[in-house]
Amino acid sequence: MATSPNYGWLEPDNTDLVKNGALSIRTLGNAIDTTMATMTPKSTYTAKGSIAAATAASTPANLSVGNNGETLVADSSTSTGLSYQANWAAGKNKIINGDYRINQRGFSSVTANDTYTFDRWRTLSGGTVTYAFTPQTFTPGTAPVAGYEGSTFLQCAISAATSSYIGISQRIEDVRTFANQSIVVSFWAKAASGTPSVDVVVNQDFGSGGSGSVNTIGTKQAISTSWTRYSFKITVPSISGKTIGTSSFTNVYLLFSDAIIGSGVGDQTGTFQIWGFQAEAGSVATAFQTATGTLQGELSACQRYYQRFTNIGTGDYNQNGIAYSGTKALIPLKLTTSMRSAVTAIDYSSLRLFDYVNAALLITNLIINTATSDSSVVCVEATVASGLTQYRTYVILGNTLPSYLGLSAEL
Amino acid sequence: MENVTFIESENLLTNEITEHAIIDRGNGEFTSMPKSEYDRRQAEQSTPIVINEAKTK
Repeated sequence: MATSPNYGWLEPDNTDLVKNGALSIRTLGNAIDTTMATMTPKSTYTAKGSIAAATAASTPANLSVGNNGETLVADSSTSTGLSYQANWAAGKNKIINGDYRINQRGFSSVTANDTYTFDRWRTLSGGTVTYAFTPQTFTPGTAPVAGYEGSTFLQCAISAATSSYIGISQRIEDVRTFANQSIVVSFWAKAASGTPSVDVVVNQDFGSGGSGSVNTIGTKQAISTSWTRYSFKITVPSISGKTIGTSSFTNVYLLFSDAIIGSGVGDQTGTFQIWGFQAEAGSVATAFQTATGTLQGELSACQRYYQRFTNIGTGDYNQNGIAYSGTKALIPLKLTTSMRSAVTAIDYSSLRLFDYVNAALLITNLIINTATSDSSVVCVEATVASGLTQYRTYVILGNTLPSYLGLSAEL
Repeated sequence: MENVTFIESENLLTNEITEHAIIDRGNGEFTSMPKSEYDRRQAEQSTPIVINEAKTK
């Protein structure tokens, strides 16, 4: 007797008698019915993205698609044993300090171009502008995303902007980052009033001695007066044929006002608030996570570029060196972590040298000793007006507050 | 008001002279860096952002 090619259902042979047709049809029909009973009915799939799961043996059920960026995980608490959940993996976000928790410089207000605010975040402005970036604190429970309790956000208040651009940027180490990839830049934002626009620009800087930089401009979006997450899809160009110099970087700008760069945002005034900045490869914004996923990891990541020593009182900094003349001392510093490169600049305030016997001496100049410094060892040369004893050990001591010593290897 | 002064420092090992910029922020805070780094930053400030014609959205 003949059989069907896939399921082996019994079928009448071509030479069988017509009088046996009814029985053959019933036999075939029963075989089909038996097979179909083992299959998932089409009605299980109720919408785009639906998949068939099971609530028990031989019991198919619809599982509706999750939200953008979510992943499917085993979850025994659900009827199907599966659920879509947000992707919290660390390392996907190339932006460091995207939740604005790290503020080593203690920034309280910045009104000038090319100045650091929260760690890794620097201002960007040109034209006739008046603005102030300030840190703001979330009231507990009011941060914009469930499951991640933000503490601090960034505010930009623009009072004047003519033929201008005003923004905030982060330089991501190495221009190879995101090259030739589709990326999504996302953040939560709100305006104090109206529906002003913002835009994202990705600038590929090939470093000193490298090819000229390349801007890729996103499509501007209007923001509302309530915390809302916005995402910008950007195709970052290939770096094929480019020359990469030293200290290259991929720079991500967020523009609040722009009549210069070409985003179409235009000159704008008003108050903008930002939190939860993320830049990741892919086509959808996944759940926000900091670059490292931990507080200590995020601090260390920031300290690769800048680390500040400070003292809450006027005590010593646990950094000591030796005087080599009556006015100068060399002090090798103990770093918190290795830095991106040799330190390129230091900032300081209200420091003294102290030998634990005589009166402390105010440091008038503090410079990098470039010959004995690299990414893991930094030696500074301190100058005082007079009074050091050659070959005597001195420690750095705080003076009146604010007292600090900062080391920068920022891009 | 910022005030920039330049000083020279001699490397005790090589006797090489390096010039440094010291920026007085006017509030008791200072920033110092080798003059080569200061010059690089000044050049970057004069051309702070590139406006390129190629635009991808």
